[in-house]
Amino acid sequence: MKKNLVKKLTAMSLIGLMSFSTMVGCSKTDTAGSTKPSTSEGSQAAKDGKDKMVIAMLPKFKGENYFDACKLGAQEAADELGITLLYDGPSQDQATNQKQVDILEGWIAQEVDVIIVSPNDPTAIAPTLKKAQQSGIKVVSYDADADPEARDLFINQITPDAAGKGLLDGAAGDLKAKGYTADNPANIALVSGSGTDANQTAWENAIYTLLETPEYNFMKIQNKDTDVYYPGTDETKVNSECATLISRMGEGADKIQAAIALSSMSTPALGAQYQSAASKPDATKITLTGLATPNALKTYIKDETNPLNSGVLWNCMDLGYLAVQAGYQLANNTITTDSTSVQAGRLGEKEINNRECVLGDALVFDATNVDNFDY
Amino acid sequence: MKKGKIKFTFNMALFLIWVVIFGAISLNAPAFLKPNYIINVMLRNIVEIGMVALPMTMIIITGGIDLSVGNILVLSAMLGGMAAASFGTAMGIVVTLLTGAICGLINGLIIARAKISPMVTTLATMYLYLGLARGISKGDSVYAYDFAENMGTMSIVGIPVQIWIYSVIAILFIILLGKTTFGRKLYSIGLNKNATKYAGVDTEKMLIVLYTLCGIICALAAFIWLGRFTSVKYDAGTSFNLKVITAVVLGGTSINGGFGDMKGTVLATLIIATLNSGLTVLNIPIDVQTIVQGVVLMIALISYAVVNVRMKKKKIVAIDKTNVASEA
Amino acid sequence: MKTNKKKSSLSTEFYLMVFLVAALLLLRVFAPAFYSINNIMSLLNSFSYILISAIGMNMIILTSNIDVSTGALISVVALSVAAIGKQGAPFGVLLIAAMVIGAVLSTLNGLFITKLKIPAIVATLATTQIFQGVLPLTVEGSIYDLPESFTWLAFEAKIFGMIPASILICLIVAVVAIIFMKYSKFSKKIYAIGNNSNGARLAGINVDQTIVITYTIAGALFGITALIVATAGQRVTTTMGSGMEMTFIAAVVLGGTSTAGGSGRIIGTVIGAFILAMIAPAINYLGISANWADAIKGAIIIISVLVSAAKYIKKKRVITDQMRQLGGEA
Repeated sequence: MKKNLVKKLTAMSLIGLMSFSTMVGCSKTDTAGSTKPSTSEGSQAAKDGKDKMVIAMLPKFKGENYFDACKLGAQEAADELGITLLYDGPSQDQATNQKQVDILEGWIAQEVDVIIVSPNDPTAIAPTLKKAQQSGIKVVSYDADADPEARDLFINQITPDAAGKGLLDGAAGDLKAKGYTADNPANIALVSGSGTDANQTAWENAIYTLLETPEYNFMKIQNKDTDVYYPGTDETKVNSECATLISRMGEGADKIQAAIALSSMSTPALGAQYQSAASKPDATKITLTGLATPNALKTYIKDETNPLNSGVLWNCMDLGYLAVQAGYQLANNTITTDSTSVQAGRLGEKEINNRECVLGDALVFDATNVDNFDY
Repeated sequence: MKKGKIKFTFNMALFLIWVVIFGAISLNAPAFLKPNYIINVMLRNIVEIGMVALPMTMIIITGGIDLSVGNILVLSAMLGGMAAASFGTAMGIVVTLLTGAICGLINGLIIARAKISPMVTTLATMYLYLGLARGISKGDSVYAYDFAENMGTMSIVGIPVQIWIYSVIAILFIILLGKTTFGRKLYSIGLNKNATKYAGVDTEKMLIVLYTLCGIICALAAFIWLGRFTSVKYDAGTSFNLKVITAVVLGGTSINGGFGDMKGTVLATLIIATLNSGLTVLNIPIDVQTIVQGVVLMIALISYAVVNVRMKKKKIVAIDKTNVASEA
Repeated sequence: MKTNKKKSSLSTEFYLMVFLVAALLLLRVFAPAFYSINNIMSLLNSFSYILISAIGMNMIILTSNIDVSTGALISVVALSVAAIGKQGAPFGVLLIAAMVIGAVLSTLNGLFITKLKIPAIVATLATTQIFQGVLPLTVEGSIYDLPESFTWLAFEAKIFGMIPASILICLIVAVVAIIFMKYSKFSKKIYAIGNNSNGARLAGINVDQTIVITYTIAGALFGITALIVATAGQRVTTTMGSGMEMTFIAAVVLGGTSTAGGSGRIIGTVIGAFILAMIAPAINYLGISANWADAIKGAIIIISVLVSAAKYIKKKRVITDQMRQLGGEA
């Protein structure tokens, strides 16, 4: 008898607690939504037969200033257009295709109107994006491209050539000033992302091509196995690999003279690891540069003893803004995949070429202008 | 007899939990209730975890654990994909299954013959398989081939092929554990390995077979995984290991071995599937989903513990009153 | 029995030491640049944060428990100290905060395990998910642009102008731990519980309390690791510690501590942590792609446990054919 009672009680309490935890889960979203009102209204709208257009945005990963800045721009555009923006993405240590697909499938089921995505793996995500297109959702890739046939439009921040050139120029200028020439060549190392991202792969290849040209051939990558790092997106891993790289830097043919980081995670890590190195490599002989948001590099750039003197970026907020604008107009048929231009709100008219819309040029910032940016 | 009753309660409780979660989510998000979503998203997403959870239940019942399953899955998908790309589909299938079996066999041999604890062994092989996958692929993705793609995307009578596969394997495992001597021997290994050995059971051979079987199931799941995502990268399996163990533990199998039930694992898989896709449909950010899953697991563990302690107490009271003080 | 065990763990340490010296000599020949001051110091820095936590993990494993939530716990502590550091708090305050937060969270683990009688591996599996999920809720993304006072440990605090202060912290922790584990009464309780929990209880040891305190101490050590990891740069993200628990457990296991509890010494963990910290930079200097790092790590752990198992079996004079099979596998 008593035993049965225990069992029953347990079962009941279990159910009670479970439903409670589910409710907690729900109410938590509501509170989270109240800080971002449009988000919670969004799920409402999705339910009540689409009063408002719903655009869902999926970054490679959440929780880093680069994608946060893109999100700000996207939110700005969403507010302007009076639409709902959903935003979710994998955490940094799980920036994988699988996680992205999981999120996408939820959005496809809810029948959002537009999906804006920065894929971790362009080929792997393609079938899911195609599924979205088949159910009538417009797909826009931003930051990194997906397979061209799996998306309607690619909002490219910068052409690979311009990115490669911008990055190499940052390093080359500094190296030349430090006395490296064709007769006194410099070894360079790259710090990339996870190795499968479309954008970083494209920039890497552009850099390899540019390194063959006379203008840049005084810079050499000695061994692609060891001198091109793929630390992924996890902060601690990025830090420890950058520390190893910094320890290999210095003067001499067996050392590395320039490190160029291709991801917004690794550039600040290079600066930080230089700063914490035990005996710092001679700053007058080496240089560090790479992609990152100005805020993340500010201190290192202003510190004259740190060889990180410049950073490269584009306007991330504009990137998010343009992506939402373009997605919105695709969904209400203001533009189609054949359009040659888009009227993108405060950015004015942007050219579309072969379903690709390029935001603009690289923005190189250094000690003189780093304070003008706030993201 | 008694045991049967307890299990029934656990499974009933699990079932009720599932109903509650399912109901709560459906009320909040009508999109969830579409049969298309339930079959094509909710169930499809959990098949790989569910499949591997089946042999994992057996391993945990013997008092062991396998932390390397996700990495076996990735390694076999990867080597299979590479073999298929250079030598054709048939070779891909063979290599995938062989890789899974060999990885499992290595685990089994080290655990059974060298007598190294399953946790240490599979922790080490986890790094090894992860590292091999990373080294061999040089960090790149490996893409699906026709057979794997079919396994991941094809449907039979409107239901994706992987759900059929899962159902068949699940039924086989339920029978294997519940109705055969092999299954009963697994419980007895978990309760007392030495006694089982002295009773004439070749425990070493059983463990080797068990871990190899687990490797083969991982390889089967690898086809589906590769087909579903069309690509696999070396780091894909890392969070997979703990998810599988979560499913088994949520299903009421004791991590200390000797006690557990395959049906509980199947129900737990269903609960996790519902939670995963349901919370996504509700637009609950991934981070909160993690918390909810953690809380659900915690609650389940606490209630199992409460019931277990009570049962134990009663038994002890019946046997020897003096021991009660020290046990409590 | 006990002496037997002790001898076998001693031999593990001996073999590890031989392996380590051999590896260091090989590096001397094939990659002399490995011995640059910068590399050694950055290696020692990661060695110190691995070791500090591995010591805590070692204590937990000695009681035949485990903690798989360490990585998530470190992420929580890292972000918490970053929030405090953003206000310009000095290093001392950060250190105390990190240790307290780490200790509190880890005590929760200990309480779950002892009071609710949940096996350690699954209890910490559940808390992992809770820790992981709580973080992104409390902060939007990462905390960046942290002030100089925050990065002081990594950027400024150098002994003799070159040795990172994290190494000093690690040295203090390691020495205290070795003395503590050798001479304190508390450590005897830990070993007793790991060997035979019921026996320890009957001998009058408060098992639950001892385990909770062990988790608390370990938590404070995890907090120190979190602080070293967090202050490495001006940005702290939500996944600073993810995956680290496996490294710590690997260091402990490599160092010859049995996961069944009751046997193992800190000195083994020290060597284990050093080998694990060395692998990534070593293969980079040897010109091998970083892609092979994990495979090498796994192979070293397997070989090391097999060697010590072989030793143990030989001592017990197990029939020869079993040994032959073992040799075949290794």
